[in-house]
Amino acid sequence: MRKFFPVEELARDSRFTQINMRQAEADPRTAIVGPSAAKRAKVNRLTPARPDASEAARNLMHGIFVGEIQALEGAGRTCHDFELPDSKDPKATDTVPFALKLDMARQAWDESRHVEISVKLGEWMGSEIGQFAENTVLFEAACSTDPVMRLAGVNRALEGLAIDVFTTMKEFGEIAGDPYLEFCEDWMLADEVTHVKMGSDWLRKVTENDPERRAKALEFQSIVDRLFSFGGARSESDDSPIGLARRFRELAGFTTDEVDEIADVSLAALEARKAFSAAAMSSNGTASDES
Amino acid sequence: MPGLFDVEESARRVGNYKWAEMKLFETLGGWVATVPELDVKMRLGAHCYHHAWHAELWHKRLPELREMNPDRLTQPANDAMVRFVEVLAEPEAAEHTIEKLVGVYRVFIPHFIAAYTFHRNNTSEITDAPTIRSLDFALRDEFDDWRDGEMMLQSLIETPEEVDRAAAHQARLEKIMLEAGGIAGPGTIGGA
Repeated sequence: MRKFFPVEELARDSRFTQINMRQAEADPRTAIVGPSAAKRAKVNRLTPARPDASEAARNLMHGIFVGEIQALEGAGRTCHDFELPDSKDPKATDTVPFALKLDMARQAWDESRHVEISVKLGEWMGSEIGQFAENTVLFEAACSTDPVMRLAGVNRALEGLAIDVFTTMKEFGEIAGDPYLEFCEDWMLADEVTHVKMGSDWLRKVTENDPERRAKALEFQSIVDRLFSFGGARSESDDSPIGLARRFRELAGFTTDEVDEIADVSLAALEARKAFSAAAMSSNGTASDES
Repeated sequence: MPGLFDVEESARRVGNYKWAEMKLFETLGGWVATVPELDVKMRLGAHCYHHAWHAELWHKRLPELREMNPDRLTQPANDAMVRFVEVLAEPEAAEHTIEKLVGVYRVFIPHFIAAYTFHRNNTSEITDAPTIRSLDFALRDEFDDWRDGEMMLQSLIETPEEVDRAAAHQARLEKIMLEAGGIAGPGTIGGA
């Protein structure tokens, strides 16, 4: 078996259709510019009151499901792809400590349970495996040959996003009176906080004496965070479908400054989307139809 | 009453177990992305952690057996064990789930069960009680995982050709394990 498995070869059964981030962004149903942009102007926090709440919740749940599969695969690959440190080459950037491998194995088990929970919740919510396309961006972030980049991109940025998503879904379940959804999301949220904390702790520990490597990793995390703030999909504003779970992020090892930075980037992305949408509505004369 | 193993022999075996459990959990973790069957993917993720935890148990036991540098004894029993793990981890293609599962659940894990059971039954109940406690925890996982693996294999093997594929891969690996003499080398289950 090779070290470093390419995202294009992720093994799936025939129910799945995979797309990458570029293809997801080009989807006219979610585009932030162009003819369909006006219809997205009213997209706001995912609550049961939204007219499209059922479909949006099913879509988000399917996104969680495929994200969990990729998180499982990414954690498993980190157990496999890197050797233990060699005392003759202590500065090598392609090795990981034994304890980090153990944490990744633990994460693989957690993600396995999340996949199973997500399958059951998807059925409960009335959707089927493969009903929505699978964006493979999470595993792409897990393909770096530097384990510190994986910690930053996956454990800190994407698992951090998972904290936001699970918090939003838990609230959705609570408001909708769905105790199953609320219960499951709360348990998965507890695991995700643990995974983000693992990422925060290991990132600091592994780069303790290598500030340059740490800076590069944090820069990569910032890029991934920006990618997922695209269109303001996640921010502290109620106009974003997904909220920013500030308290849980701090429990997971984010500093207040780091959360503030994500909040600012997300809000800026949201404002940009609103401006695009307003311009699109104005040029199409659809503003009155949207009210 | 004295057991069969002195402190040094117990530490040597524990070091071999840790090495073998590490190789197993790394392989299981690596395979998750390569298997298309969703139920298999999930089980591999769970079992990856079981074996990582066993490796951790052995890692923590080594200093208690006077080995203050656990890495020194974290070694394969011999070259044949290294070759065994290489062949075990060889299948990668999505169509080779049967070979992957056969290697783990019909060869490697049964050998863990044998090695751990022999150690459990022949070490001192009193002086080596901490090792026995870890062996008991590990054995419980090994039996559970073996059952899961066998269930998955029986659900995947649907044709006579697939029976042959499974048997051929099992035989290939068993011959290398025979040469190795077991997970802890010759004498793993006595008789050396």
